[in-house]
Amino acid sequence: MKILVVEDEQLLRDNIADYLKAEGNVCDLAASLDEATEKIALYDYDCILLDLTLPDGDGLKLMRILKKQDRDDGIIIITARGSVDQRIEGLGLGADDYLIKPFHLSELSARVLAIVRRRSFKGNDLVRFNELNIDIQSKTVKVHGEPISLTRKEYDLLLYFMANKSKVISKSALVAHIWGDHADMADSFDFIYTHIKNLRKKLVDAGCKDYFQSVYGVGYKFSAE
Amino acid sequence: MRLFTLYNRVLLITSMAGLLIIGYLFYNTLSTYLNKQIDNYLVEELLEVRDYTSKRQDFPPHSEFEDLVIAYHKISRISKKRHFGDTIFFNPKKGVKETGRYLEEDLVMAGQNYSIRIIASKIAHMDQAKSIFLVIILPVLGLLVILWAVNRYMMKRIWVPFNQLLLNLKSFNVNKEQGFEQVSTSIVEFRELNDAIVDISQRVKSDYREIRMFTENASHEMMTPIAVINSKLDMMLQSTELSEEHSRNLVDLYRATAKLTKLNQSLLLLVKIDNNLLLDREQVNLKQMLEEKIQYFQEFTQRKSIVVNANLQEKEVLMSRYLADILLDNLIGNSIRHNYKGGHIQVELSPERLSVTNTSEAGALDETVAFERFYKSPASEGMGLGLTIVKQIVELHGFSISYSYHDDVHVFTVIF
Repeated sequence: MKILVVEDEQLLRDNIADYLKAEGNVCDLAASLDEATEKIALYDYDCILLDLTLPDGDGLKLMRILKKQDRDDGIIIITARGSVDQRIEGLGLGADDYLIKPFHLSELSARVLAIVRRRSFKGNDLVRFNELNIDIQSKTVKVHGEPISLTRKEYDLLLYFMANKSKVISKSALVAHIWGDHADMADSFDFIYTHIKNLRKKLVDAGCKDYFQSVYGVGYKFSAE
Repeated sequence: MRLFTLYNRVLLITSMAGLLIIGYLFYNTLSTYLNKQIDNYLVEELLEVRDYTSKRQDFPPHSEFEDLVIAYHKISRISKKRHFGDTIFFNPKKGVKETGRYLEEDLVMAGQNYSIRIIASKIAHMDQAKSIFLVIILPVLGLLVILWAVNRYMMKRIWVPFNQLLLNLKSFNVNKEQGFEQVSTSIVEFRELNDAIVDISQRVKSDYREIRMFTENASHEMMTPIAVINSKLDMMLQSTELSEEHSRNLVDLYRATAKLTKLNQSLLLLVKIDNNLLLDREQVNLKQMLEEKIQYFQEFTQRKSIVVNANLQEKEVLMSRYLADILLDNLIGNSIRHNYKGGHIQVELSPERLSVTNTSEAGALDETVAFERFYKSPASEGMGLGLTIVKQIVELHGFSISYSYHDDVHVFTVIF
C-alpha cells in the first residue's frame, strides 16, 4: 500500500513511517502543507495520514484540494486538538477516520488497514491468515472453514492482532483499543490477559495453531513463526 | 453592625446627651435668673418695711403685703447679714404649703432687736420657668426627631447605588460571558467605586481568559511530544533484542505516558467546560444512559464481585450528551475503582436527584476540598481531576452536587 504521512514533527513522522514500512507499505513523507500538496499532485495514495496543525497552514486545506479534484484517497486525520467541531468538519470534508494524539502505532496501523481494505476491496471483506478466516462484513471468524463464536471484545482483539501481524503490541495499546477512555479502569492489565487467554483457547480448541506469543510482561505478538 | 445602625446609634447617643446637658444648664440659668428677680422684689419689700417701722415704730400689718408672708420675732443679738434662701411655707391665702423664697434680716425697732422674714411664693415663677423651658426644649426635640427621620431616609436613598454595586459585584462570575454590570450614579464616590470595580473585573476576566488559553495551548502542545514518546515506545517494543528488564521499563513508561495523556485530556476537558464550548444541549434520558453504563461496567464489577443495586425512575434532563456521558462515567467509574472486592454500589435516580453510593476501604473524604483540582485521597491512584470535572459539569447545567459519608459508605448526590 502507498501511504503519505503529513506530519510536521519529524520524530513522529519517522516513527509512523518506520512502523508502517515494516508492514510492507510504501511511505512518502511531507512535513508541511506545501510538500503535501506537491506529493498529492504527483501520486495517488491508498491512505493519507494528515496532521491538521501544520507550520504553513491548516491541514483541512489539503482535504479541500483533494475534494475538489474528486480524489478518493483514504484520509486519517491525526491531531492534537480533539475538538468536536474540527472532527465534524474533517469528517464532512471526506476524512475516513480521526485519531487524536497521542496514539499507539498499532492502533494507527489497524485504522489504516481498515480504511484501505474498505476502499480497495469493495465487496470482498475477507481477511485471511493461514487457516484463519475473518469476514469483516458479517463479523464471523472461521478456522479451517468452521465458524467459531467469539465475544465482541475477542473479535476486536483478533482483528487488531491481524492488522499488526508479527508486531509486538503493548498491553497499553490493547487496553486503549478495547476500552478507549476507560483504559485506566482495567487496572493491572489483568483483563487483557483474560480476554487473550479465552481467545487463544477458543482458536486452539477449533484446531488453529497458537499464533500468540507473550513478550515478557509488556505485550503480545501474533505471528506465524 | 450595619453602617446605618452604627451611624444612628452614635447620632442618638450624642443628641440625647447634648439635649440633657443643654436642658440642665438652661433650666439652672433660668431658675437662677428668676430667683434673682424674686430676691430683688423681696429687697424692695424689706425696704418698705424698714421705712414703715422707722416712721411709725411699728410693723406694717399683713394686709399691706399682697402675696407675701411676713414674720417678725425678737432676737437678742443683731447681725448685719442679709440672708436669702429657698423654703417651704404655709400660704394662708391658698391654705396650702408651697415652695417659696425668703429674705431674712435683722433690724432694731424701739430699742428691741427683731429678725424679719419675708417669704414670697415661687409657684408662679416656677410655672413661668417651666413654660419657658418647654417652649424652648420641645421644638429642639422635635427638630431632632425630624433630623433623624430625614437622615434615615437620606441614608437609605443615598446608599441605593452602593447596595446595587454590592449586588452586582456578588453576582459577578469570572466564568460567565457577562461582565460586571455597571451602576450609574451622580455620587462621585460611588461612581469612582463603580469605575474601579469595572476596571478590576475586566482585568480579572482577561487574566482568567489568558490562564485558560495558556492551559489549553500548553496541553495541546504537550500532546505531540507525548505522541512521539508513545511511538518511540512502540518502536522499541519491536526490537528483537528486548530483554526482560527493558520490557519492565517499557511497561512503566507506557503507564506513565498513559497517565500523562489522561491528565492532559482532563485539563483540556475542564478548559472546554469553562469556555462553554460544549453546549449542544438536548433532552437526555438519564435512566436509559445509566442502565447502559451499568451494563458497560459490568465486566469490571463482576471481576471485583461488586453487587450493583439500581433503583431508577424515569428522568430526562436538558444537557450535553457528551458531558452527561462523562458525568456518569466518572461517578460510576469512581464507585467501582475505589470499591473493594465483594463491596456494593447503590445507584438511585429520581426526578429530583441522582445518588451513587459505594463501599470503600478509604475513609471519608474532606468535603471542603473533595471537588478541588488535584485533590485526591491518599489511596487514590488517579490525578484528582475526576470529581472536579463532575462538579464543573454539574454546575454548568445548573445542578448541584454534594458528598456525604456515613455508615462506611460514600454518597455522591446530584440534585437537579
